[in-house]
Amino acid sequence: MKLKAKARSFAQGVIMAGISVFAVSAAQAEDVTVWAWDPNFNGAAMQLAAEHYKRTNPDFNLVFEVFAREEVEQKLQTQLAAGTTQGLPDIVLIEDYSAQKFLLSFPGAFEPLNDTLDYSQFADYKVQLATVGDQTYSVPFDSGVTGWFYRSDILEEAGYGADDLENITWNRFIEIAKDVHAKTGKPMLSLDLNDPGMIVVMLQSTGSWFFDDNGELNLVNNPAFRAVMETYGEILQTPEIYKVVNGWAEYTSSFTGGDVASTITGVWITGTIKAADMPGQWAVAPIPRIEGVEGARNASNLGGSSWYVLASSDNMETTKDFLATVWGNDIDFYQEILVGQGAVGSLLRVREGEAYQSSDDYYGGQPVWQNFSQWLGEIPGVDFGIFTYEVRSAIATQLPDIANGGDIDQAIQRAEAEARVLTQ
Amino acid sequence: MTGVGFAKETGTLAAAGQYRRPARFQPLRFLKGVFVYGLLSLAAFVSIFPFYWMLVGTTNSAVDIVRGKANFGDHFWINVTNLFAQVDIPRVLFNSFFISILATVLTLVISSAAGYAFEVFRSRFRERIFAALLLMLSIPFAALMVPLFVMMAGVGLINTYTAVIAPAIANIFIIFYFRQATKAFPSELRDAARIDGLKEWQIFLRVYFPVMQSTYAAATIIVFMLNWNNYLWPLIVLQTNDMKTMVLVISSLASAYVPDYGVVMVATVITTLPTLVIFFILQRLFVQGMLGSVK
Amino acid sequence: MVQTRLGRNESISGWMFVTPALVLVGLFMIWPILWSLWMSFQTGRGMNLSFGGLANIQRLGADPIFLTALTNTLIFLAIQVPIMILLALVFAVLLNSPRIWGRGFFRTAIFLPAVTSLVAYSILFKSMFATDGLMNHVAVGLGLIPAPISWLGHPFWAKVVIILAITWRWTGYNMIFYLAALQNIDKSIYEAARIDGIPAWAQFFHITIPMLKPVIVFTTIISTIGTLQLFDEVQNITQGGPSNATLTLSQYIYNLTFRFMPSFGYAATVSYVIVLLVAILSFIQFRVARERR
Repeated sequence: MKLKAKARSFAQGVIMAGISVFAVSAAQAEDVTVWAWDPNFNGAAMQLAAEHYKRTNPDFNLVFEVFAREEVEQKLQTQLAAGTTQGLPDIVLIEDYSAQKFLLSFPGAFEPLNDTLDYSQFADYKVQLATVGDQTYSVPFDSGVTGWFYRSDILEEAGYGADDLENITWNRFIEIAKDVHAKTGKPMLSLDLNDPGMIVVMLQSTGSWFFDDNGELNLVNNPAFRAVMETYGEILQTPEIYKVVNGWAEYTSSFTGGDVASTITGVWITGTIKAADMPGQWAVAPIPRIEGVEGARNASNLGGSSWYVLASSDNMETTKDFLATVWGNDIDFYQEILVGQGAVGSLLRVREGEAYQSSDDYYGGQPVWQNFSQWLGEIPGVDFGIFTYEVRSAIATQLPDIANGGDIDQAIQRAEAEARVLTQ
Repeated sequence: MTGVGFAKETGTLAAAGQYRRPARFQPLRFLKGVFVYGLLSLAAFVSIFPFYWMLVGTTNSAVDIVRGKANFGDHFWINVTNLFAQVDIPRVLFNSFFISILATVLTLVISSAAGYAFEVFRSRFRERIFAALLLMLSIPFAALMVPLFVMMAGVGLINTYTAVIAPAIANIFIIFYFRQATKAFPSELRDAARIDGLKEWQIFLRVYFPVMQSTYAAATIIVFMLNWNNYLWPLIVLQTNDMKTMVLVISSLASAYVPDYGVVMVATVITTLPTLVIFFILQRLFVQGMLGSVK
Repeated sequence: MVQTRLGRNESISGWMFVTPALVLVGLFMIWPILWSLWMSFQTGRGMNLSFGGLANIQRLGADPIFLTALTNTLIFLAIQVPIMILLALVFAVLLNSPRIWGRGFFRTAIFLPAVTSLVAYSILFKSMFATDGLMNHVAVGLGLIPAPISWLGHPFWAKVVIILAITWRWTGYNMIFYLAALQNIDKSIYEAARIDGIPAWAQFFHITIPMLKPVIVFTTIISTIGTLQLFDEVQNITQGGPSNATLTLSQYIYNLTFRFMPSFGYAATVSYVIVLLVAILSFIQFRVARERR
């Protein structure tokens, strides 16, 4: 704040006198602007929510703007740091990993919603992620419960049925992947070495995290993390079982285009898989389990996000009413986005609903939603802290070296050194 | 300034004849010729191909583009329609043109006046100040962007045209360019104007400006291009969709979760077209400006 | 009397012409650079800064990412700039020869990349080097590589793509400077060399390059400054990846401020490294130029 004041006194006069500032046309009164990043998933869900709300509020208009997740966060961070709220949306989607970072770094920027929503109706861990002190700021959205999404036709060709994939270890996974490649020529996975999402999945499945209970970095002397890196390293050093992809588009087209036999990720990928229109060719199994770590499970989480209301919204009443009416109450809406987009919402009542009990023909008639709810209950809880992406970046840096057979312990040490700098 | 005319090549061919030896087949010379033309043709092909790729891309679907389809398809209107549906292109083009034109005009006025004065007026500090300016040429923008951002935020100018334009106006390259060019400005003209009783600013406007038109034209092209293509600073200060420039739009479209390259290619063509057109219409001025502005 | 009054008037008018530019330079270059020096002694997250002494320097010393970004930037500098300058020289010399048919076309073609915006051509390169994309089809088809390469997913190849891209964009630009300089070389020198039976390649190394030295030094400095600021290309082609293999100093500063938890003070410290580097390299290049003259 000191810097700001200094800048003002020095520069204001000169600059203001220079060129006139041009006003930006403001949005219409009834418009509610939303930023999100996946038009097949969270964007689609939000637009459906708007349609539901319009049935009772025909004047309501949702302005939906899509940016990559990184861009959403960068824009938000840049503007909040600059103290300008003009041009910020009314509602923004923030991934759970970044929630605490934004809430703690920019106090006052987000609107607490304790008076708008009954948080006891929502999954407790999602509420905790968005709580600072006694205020909660989010409309809890989706869970990132993970699954192993595989092409049942390809695995069948290699001689594997659903029972063979149930509750296996990662070592068994690698064996199967090798076998599938030998029999069908298809790698099992596609990996983006810039994005260590799979490591995040593996680590949370053990109940450990990048940080310890005090928020201190916890990589070098963390046996669970070491086991994860070793497992991941083994996959990386078995090049026939994965295809290297670069960026999200190459990643999704690798499995929707049939280049690879499966992907392991959050349930939110359902929107993308269903958009490929290959009914009956897909199925879901629980993710493999890390061996040698006590408490490791066949369930984990990747991503997941919630909606936040900017305190600067000039349309606060409509925004809150919209969120409370649809996102806080509308069971039908939640059932639709579950089946359509794979959005496993956080409103608990919905889980007793019909959709969760039904089987899904797209996934070969499996009761996938029941399975996902069950796995959701098995995910070990961890505290994400405020620096997840900084650490992810530090880990990503080590991956090519590990793929080339580099030493795991050295890689872990380098990752910790880098993470330490980025988390200062 | 040395103009390298791209267009004035005819006529040299005849003169080239005198270097030729008697027309006897010389294998070595022939091979050398093949090598030289092979090299040049390869270079020309490599240089032009991405332009072809860009044009072809506007007619193909996103999937075809990332799968390497290099012939024309039938997706052109779909891509154009999608681009205009996703982005308010008229508004974005307005932003790009508005910022570029205003920045160019202001840069030319302020920097040419300074360049002119550095050459024409004598003062004890002149050379020292000028040397200091030249030293600052090598300060990279990356070193300025963090304090500039904090400063603009402090005065509430984030997401305004002012924030983009103001730091671009005092362009040391252009000051330098005009000082060099002014060396060719005949001092007799200035003396004569003085005797006629013109004030200094009148001399600058009524005598210097008309005489130096081609210098101004060349500088206009360069400064316009600089601003049209500027990326890092607008990326930081322009935040909302209705303030974005074309360059920011293509960058944002291409970094989307699932970039639609067909749409991106159309936007890329729109971004490249103005500078390409200026180049082909005003080749000589264009090259002259490029040489001069950094010399 | 008349002389001095004229002199004073002149200097007043002179200042009037120069002042707007100087004020702007002061406001948008000198002030930020001084402020950045002050900021580099501050630590803290976001806008909440406090004096931290030499903490940022210590952080710099223990920062492997900074080291990676510095190394990458220097690798780009050491490999890309010489290749580009050499190519530009060769094309300039070839296209300066009146015997070459179609010079105008070749010049225009090779110069054309310099007209594109950095972001636009970066995106063209990114799409051409996609894993299933054009370059792999062509290279595999011609038998240059046995199997498709993940150009942007492999640390080595990603650097290669960046170097190829920058070379594509700037070779023609540099060529123009050499062409202009070549036109100022007295033709009779070559005439004499030819009569003495000196082969063309020797003329190139013993006449052309020494004669063009000032221009070569100049373009080298310009390219050095440009490379040290490299941002647009890496941001749009590789985002600095994979595993920071193409991360540059400018991009690291950007990340420290706008991508990760904002660290203005530390970002300012890193930016001062670039200032120092530019100063040192320019100084060396000037010295080299002066010594051999």
